[in-house]
Amino acid sequence: MKTPWVLARRHLRTHWARTGLTVAALVVALYLFCFLVSLVTTLHDSVKSAATNRVIVQSAVSLFVALPIDYQAKIEQVPGVAATTKFQWFGGYYQEQANFLAEFGVDHDKFFDMYDQEVEITEGPGGVTGPGARQAVIDAMAADRRACVIGEGLVRDPDFGFAIGQTVPLMGTIFPKSDGSAWEFNVVGVYKPLKGNMDDRTIWFRYDYLWETLQAGAAGGPRGVGVYSVNIAPGHDPATVIADIDALFAGGPQRTMTTTEAAFQAAFVSMMGNLPFFVGTIGGAVVFAVMFSVVNTMLMSARQRTHEIGILKALGYSDGALSRLLLGESMMLTLLGGGLGLLLAFVTADGLRKGFGSYLPTYTVQPGTLLIGLGITLGIGVIAGLAPAIVAGRLLPTAALRSEG
Amino acid sequence: MAIIEMRGVTKRYERGGQTLTVLDRLDLDVPQGDFVALMGPSGSGKSTILNLVGGLDSSDEGRITVAGNEVSSMSRGQLAEWRSRHIGFVFQAFNLVPVLTALENVLLPLQLQPLSRAERRKQAEFALSIVGLTDRMHHRPKQLSGGQEQRVAIARAIASDPDIILADEPTGDLDRDSANAIMDLLRRLNVELKKTLVVVTHDEMAAQRAQRTLHLDKGRLLDRGTAPPATAAAAAAR
Repeated sequence: MKTPWVLARRHLRTHWARTGLTVAALVVALYLFCFLVSLVTTLHDSVKSAATNRVIVQSAVSLFVALPIDYQAKIEQVPGVAATTKFQWFGGYYQEQANFLAEFGVDHDKFFDMYDQEVEITEGPGGVTGPGARQAVIDAMAADRRACVIGEGLVRDPDFGFAIGQTVPLMGTIFPKSDGSAWEFNVVGVYKPLKGNMDDRTIWFRYDYLWETLQAGAAGGPRGVGVYSVNIAPGHDPATVIADIDALFAGGPQRTMTTTEAAFQAAFVSMMGNLPFFVGTIGGAVVFAVMFSVVNTMLMSARQRTHEIGILKALGYSDGALSRLLLGESMMLTLLGGGLGLLLAFVTADGLRKGFGSYLPTYTVQPGTLLIGLGITLGIGVIAGLAPAIVAGRLLPTAALRSEG
Repeated sequence: MAIIEMRGVTKRYERGGQTLTVLDRLDLDVPQGDFVALMGPSGSGKSTILNLVGGLDSSDEGRITVAGNEVSSMSRGQLAEWRSRHIGFVFQAFNLVPVLTALENVLLPLQLQPLSRAERRKQAEFALSIVGLTDRMHHRPKQLSGGQEQRVAIARAIASDPDIILADEPTGDLDRDSANAIMDLLRRLNVELKKTLVVVTHDEMAAQRAQRTLHLDKGRLLDRGTAPPATAAAAAAR
């Protein structure tokens, strides 16, 4: 039996104010849902994509307490340690404080080998691309103590637009220059992140440039190393290596706390409290509230159209056809609103990632999140349309025709 | 041969805890091509007869056969499908769908017929031409006069070429001129298109357009409905 779909479309259009407000509520709810879920998945992804053969050594006191520089050689003596690199958060900004960037001082001769699964060099000095780019960058880093490699996001972003060969001045906040001037870094390469725990807007520079400048008294700031990143040799148990490293420094001068890379990144997430639960609760509550609003809209609409249902039954439309009409109208309404909300979440993801800057540089709206959003949209449509559809199907034609609605 | 046959039909309603017998063992025959006016005081069961014949309601007792089908034994789904092929309704309050144009209203029953889009459109336009509203087909009900709305309702009732047209007070909401025009139109459907018409009315002048008038009181027929010779002659002259 056929369904008069023209009526669903026409009612949605004729009652444009009611339709518009309901659609707007759905857009906001689904957008917010996607945004909040994406925050959580982005944080979780950084943990999930952490390397399983890598551990991070930090001070047992706090992440903000530097480790002695001579620890590196001792860590490298621990059985099972394949390679280590220093990691020092620089905390500088470009031109103005709003342009805050993530910069790390690393061991330039080790870092790119240790992180070859996370970082791909896409361009080297002189415009070298392809397989040769990586070695060209390593050579350039070795030749220039001010050399740095930047993420491709900083090349694309018109606010920065950095390019190979350019000297990038960065004002140090943790390590200010004694004369108040900016640190200068020469761009020798561009990288592309290969995993979700790596963003495309970081600057990697030579740790020894920072260290030597501090030693020369040309800049102030803590002396030492933020963390050591340690790759474990194949066939060795990370738990044993972790225990051995921490045992090595148990007597000081600075006790260490070694964790897997995943645990280290999870600690960052937990620093924000039980964010996933909090965010999930808000997202769920918003969607739940909007669902009631849509149910109310559909019940109102169905009630006002009782008489029309009677007319259609008198013309020969079946109970099932009229149930489908009401359910279909509910689905059209929710898919319009929910679909727009999901689309908005998807198209604004790039802008938000840029807006988050270093705080959440890998923010993405994953296809899975959009699918969940679509499922919720369809669910709201079914729930909102079910009661009116059942009522419309059960109505007696004579009773419906007597109705004033 | 009777296209509508009611035998011993009883219909009761529950109102405020009391049982009200609206039709009491009613027998009625309407031959094919007949034009019958049903008259009687309010609550006499006139509209109930239309609802039962059109399959909008079910009887408590008795047998109703319409166009060769025993309506009283059909399920709701079967009744809906049967109604779409055999019955056209015209109501006092016109009952057009306000969000649709005149043409779209007439297309509604045609969507249930096995026709192509072009055939449906052609048939709807033909129905509107019969009621003289081709030039108003894209107007919505609010943009039409009462008489025009009722003509659209009649076009909708005849669009799918049903055997029987059931009209419940079709002139009740209209002024005298419009009422006359509507009754003339119904008369034309009976004479020219050979439709069987059963019209419920309180209006003696409207009833004069019918071939015969049946009077009801307290759920029973008072007569067999033979039209007075003068009325029949006047109707034939029209």
